Amino acid sequence: MITFTLNGRRVSVDVEADTPLLWVIRDTLGLMGTKYGCGIAQCGACTVHMDGQPVRACAAPVSTAAGRELTTIEGLSPDNSHPLQRAWTELDVPQCGYCQSGQIMSAAALLSRSPRPSDAEIDNAMRGNLCRCGTYPRIRAAIKLAAQIQ
Amino acid sequence: MTTVSRRRFLQAASAAVLSIAIPLPFAQAQSRPRNSQTGNIGNAYLRISADNAVVAVLPTAEMGQGTHTGQLMILGEELGIAPDQIRVEMPLRPAEPYRLFFGQMRSVGSYGIRAWYQPLRTAAAQARSVLTAAAAKRLEVSAGQLAAEDGAILHRPSGRRLPFGDLVAEAARLPLPQQPALRPPSERRLTGRPMRRVDTPAKINGSAVFGIDVKVPDMLHGAVRMSPVYGAEVESFSRESIAGFPGVVDIARVPNGVVVIADSWWRAKKAADALAIRFTKTPNDKLDSSALSAAMRAGFNKAMPQVVRNGDSDAGFKNAAKRVEAVYEVPFLTHICMEPIVCTAHERSDGVELWMPTQAHDIVRMAVERVTKFSNAQMTLHTTYLGGGFGRKTHGEIVEQAILASRAVGRPVKVTWAREDDIQQGYYRPIMMAKLRAALDRKGKIAALHIQLSGPQMGRTFEHVTIKDNRDFFSVAVLVDQPYAQHFALDHRHLDIPMPISPWRAVSSSQNGYFLEAFIDELAAAAGMDPLAFRRANLSGQHRHLAVLERVAQMSRWQKPAARGIHRGIAVVASYGSVVAQVVELRLQNEVPKVERVYVAIDCGRAINPDSVVAQMQGSVVEALAAALRHQVPIADGRAQRSNFHDYQPLRIDEMPAVEVEIVNTGAPLGGVGEPGLPPLAAALANAVHSATGKRIRKLPVLDEGRLAI
Repeated sequence: MITFTLNGRRVSVDVEADTPLLWVIRDTLGLMGTKYGCGIAQCGACTVHMDGQPVRACAAPVSTAAGRELTTIEGLSPDNSHPLQRAWTELDVPQCGYCQSGQIMSAAALLSRSPRPSDAEIDNAMRGNLCRCGTYPRIRAAIKLAAQIQ
Repeated sequence: MTTVSRRRFLQAASAAVLSIAIPLPFAQAQSRPRNSQTGNIGNAYLRISADNAVVAVLPTAEMGQGTHTGQLMILGEELGIAPDQIRVEMPLRPAEPYRLFFGQMRSVGSYGIRAWYQPLRTAAAQARSVLTAAAAKRLEVSAGQLAAEDGAILHRPSGRRLPFGDLVAEAARLPLPQQPALRPPSERRLTGRPMRRVDTPAKINGSAVFGIDVKVPDMLHGAVRMSPVYGAEVESFSRESIAGFPGVVDIARVPNGVVVIADSWWRAKKAADALAIRFTKTPNDKLDSSALSAAMRAGFNKAMPQVVRNGDSDAGFKNAAKRVEAVYEVPFLTHICMEPIVCTAHERSDGVELWMPTQAHDIVRMAVERVTKFSNAQMTLHTTYLGGGFGRKTHGEIVEQAILASRAVGRPVKVTWAREDDIQQGYYRPIMMAKLRAALDRKGKIAALHIQLSGPQMGRTFEHVTIKDNRDFFSVAVLVDQPYAQHFALDHRHLDIPMPISPWRAVSSSQNGYFLEAFIDELAAAAGMDPLAFRRANLSGQHRHLAVLERVAQMSRWQKPAARGIHRGIAVVASYGSVVAQVVELRLQNEVPKVERVYVAIDCGRAINPDSVVAQMQGSVVEALAAALRHQVPIADGRAQRSNFHDYQPLRIDEMPAVEVEIVNTGAPLGGVGEPGLPPLAAALANAVHSATGKRIRKLPVLDEGRLAI
């Protein structure tokens, strides 16, 4: 059994220790907001927070989560009220939407360590998150907007 | 040849186009009786019940293009209700009212708005008409004093307000008018103004359900193991080789491979990777990209089937002041939808139930008919959000796999491809080679143009519905009605290849726009003219092309010298009923082009949701730029030589150029928006690279291992 905290609740799972955290979150625990995109930490669709740091859940064995605090997109806010979610709504960022959970989780980690990020900081924090629809200009603008309204 | 043959061809072509652009006679859908059993108001697209619920049954799937928001704007404006007060459903199986694409239900061709505008307006106007009539009777006033607003019928003189739901019982007894009065432009409250997407709230908190997120009671998971060589079948596999792998339930044989079924996807995937499996030998085992290129090149030396003969191009070449010839080539491209290929199926004794992200509901139905005994009526198809589509989610192979897996275990199974399966299993935008020849007169006018294509016919992927007399309309877009030359010839020789091919966003317009507009720049240079001036001189009478060119020239200050170190390229392409001009500005960094800014001017007729048009142009630029710069799927030993995002990288945020978009309305009919932003980009980029380096980019991608490939 591996025990960790997920969105504020203690959970224990009985799975092979090498199972990627992503599939434990999705298939074992049933939270589907965290997405599979590549399985090799190249696209960021699976980004979650582990003790506040962004990690790619597709490439992190579940064993690395033991005793840690995890936050997924479902745990970011109860009602779409996180500054990033408000900014994402204001600027109508998503298109297909599939990558947006990961984008928002990476952006949330960025804002928590750098409340007023520069363009270079945004590039560094967000370049691991792919978007095929091309929402990048709006993502950048929404991070800056969120920095103002938080 | 004469103009008669061109006219005949255009008649044939427009017959094909018409079935896309013009909906079925709407009377057919209108004549559906309202649902008298429940007492609701209803037609094929709209349902209003006594509890005030307004439900739209939308004909196209949402894959990011904003089709649902746009369609709800159309419905809501005509009915008199805010889009976010309408609940969205999709039909549970294809049916006549939803079939506008060669008689099929598909979410393709950038037609979600332009083709559905009139049917959806009419559907909403029918409902408004009977609600208004019911209110007039109830209030004992004339219908002319009533207005439909915010989900209610309003009697302005008295201020009385009757919510739609209160009127449903009476309205449901009235016949739906076949040709209801439509609101005049003066009553437009929604269309033409920027509107936020209705799907955003669910897409920022993880609650939006994509195909990969489907959960069904008792469901198992499937991972695939397919032949790495195109055209091979399973020879044998060993169940013993994965004995002891936890959670594995069964292995299902499917075309080209197997599905390993387990209680979680990861367990299925680990077992599928470990499975000992042998595939049959095929004639493709040594196939590689250079052989495919050679075969396309050889096609030019064989008889070239004629597609268009317009005027007398031979005479034009004889009398030319200058002749220019060039050969262009594009590689296989794959779609890499962020959501991989996925389908959940449950085959039961009385039918089959599917949950999936699809752009092609009738293709799903055909797959069901191929592998089951069931007909359309026994299929229930739940359409989820699509995590990207781009043309890839128009195929039925995943449906067959999921049904065969469900059959093997007698339970619902969700089959999910890994990214490597997605990139390596084909369904590519086809390779294509183009030989372009032009004759210029002394004034820099194009006296004759002859274009020959050599490469696969796209239409063969879809039951040949787009092929007539061996001419495939799917392969010749943009070229067939090129706006430059009166004396014009077009040929296309088909090449058979073993890998499945697929529409890729903008389909053949994507490569044909590149061929034509990069070549036009070569002609401008040969004529000694500025690329914009040359286009102006050769586009007389093409007022939409000229309008977007003038606008993009203003936006980019084309007439003034570029800033130091900036190099520019321009292109204009008409596709999907819209015309788009683009200017690319790039800078060379260590001899590698870095695109800094792209200007886009689009004429799509009246923009229903202007913000959505801007978003689609931004997205089209990103997709087309990544493809033109560095995307290709080379083949060696019969296999794809790319596997995941590390070797097939979309643009990342720090590579994103600034994209400036302006909408030009020349009064043209509604045009498409999802695809027309792609076709000019590769050409504008190639033309900018020429401006920077003096070298022509006649083969994509521009970069090879990060360096200029010239």
